[in-house]
Amino acid sequence: MTARAGTPLTHRVGRRHLLGVAAVATLTAVGVLRGAYTRRGTGRTDHARPATEEGAFEETYRGRHIQGVPLASGDGRAPGDWHVTVDGRRLGVMRRADGSYLSMVDHYAAYGTPREAARGAVDELGAGEALRGHTH
Amino acid sequence: MTYTRKNQSRLTRAERRRFVDAVLSLKRRGEYDEFVRRHIDFYVADGERRLRVAHMAPSFFPWHRRFLLDFERALQRIDAAVTVPYWDWTRDRTPAASLWGEDFMGGDGRARDRQVLTGPFAHGGGNWTIKESVTDGAFLTRAFGNPPDPLDLPTADDVERALRETRYDVEPWDSTSKGGFRNVLEGWAPGRGNERWRNHNRVHRWVGGHMLGGGSVNDPVFWLHHAFVDLLWSRWRRRHPDAAQYLPLRPPQLGEPQYQRVLARDEPMPPWRATPGDLVGHEWAYRYEE
Repeated sequence: MTARAGTPLTHRVGRRHLLGVAAVATLTAVGVLRGAYTRRGTGRTDHARPATEEGAFEETYRGRHIQGVPLASGDGRAPGDWHVTVDGRRLGVMRRADGSYLSMVDHYAAYGTPREAARGAVDELGAGEALRGHTH
Repeated sequence: MTYTRKNQSRLTRAERRRFVDAVLSLKRRGEYDEFVRRHIDFYVADGERRLRVAHMAPSFFPWHRRFLLDFERALQRIDAAVTVPYWDWTRDRTPAASLWGEDFMGGDGRARDRQVLTGPFAHGGGNWTIKESVTDGAFLTRAFGNPPDPLDLPTADDVERALRETRYDVEPWDSTSKGGFRNVLEGWAPGRGNERWRNHNRVHRWVGGHMLGGGSVNDPVFWLHHAFVDLLWSRWRRRHPDAAQYLPLRPPQLGEPQYQRVLARDEPMPPWRATPGDLVGHEWAYRYEE
């Protein structure tokens, strides 16, 4: 809708979504996401899994299951695009020109990584409040 | 026939009521949620390789001017005398301001879940259920002053710094532009903590809750905030009558970083046919009572 004539945005969005789902499925299947660090009771999980810091992440943060998978660039996608979920629902995470990330929950805070953006979104969610899964 | 937009603090009791009634009527008809959806759909950040028109871009001002005009026309189909009032947040700076009164915007959200419990837009009143948003809560949320990391509303000095900018916008035409009225007033700034949010952005952050994210239009104060932002664009024009009123004049070319990512003055601005240049003036439609 925001694309100019000749830019097949709807096609791209659909494809992006499919690729994201496929990437999650593949990584889960090969066990990359298995055994994510989880600590219950203390409220926050501040330990990243170093081996996957630059790649996929999965953790429980303040009782919420957050997960993120980088999407391959190309096909009009910028490097640094991610598929991020909170409790299984899609969180729109966008890249800023300075390399930081923002989320649909908070358009104004910038985070260094998609994981931090996901945690920031959890911080803003009230008890019992969930994402609807809308993206842009 | 042109009409007048007034400072919300100077509305009569009857004017407040008619504005609220028209907004509730749009909500009841489902039209209000189309505005919410449109704003969500057009939020594109500047790290993405596609056209962005509403934020982090030169067309931030004309896009929202046109968005407000559409909303105002919808209100006027219900009550021809209604216009969108503006909230001068450099003056009405506290939760005690009449803006947040029981008969107008209602007040802050409660601490536990940030739910707004007072005024016409409290969920309990039965007229304001959130339908289009990023999160699934049914009630409007606010958290004045961002309690976890408190900040104040922007000041007259903050606005003055933006108004002193001599150019409308500067390269690279995004949230990292160093100077230019557009980015200083939109409010993307480097730095740490609360310094990062200035002017327009800082107000979204101060109100908090829905105003913080993609679903900000769910809070009707969105319109009053953006009417003031629109007024400030008008003040900048008056102060710099000889400056280019919109930049860039020509589209970035193939090979330039912003190619097909920002609008030049004479390009159609989605989702409308109007161009940014068409929206530089507003005197044909409305004026501000200052």
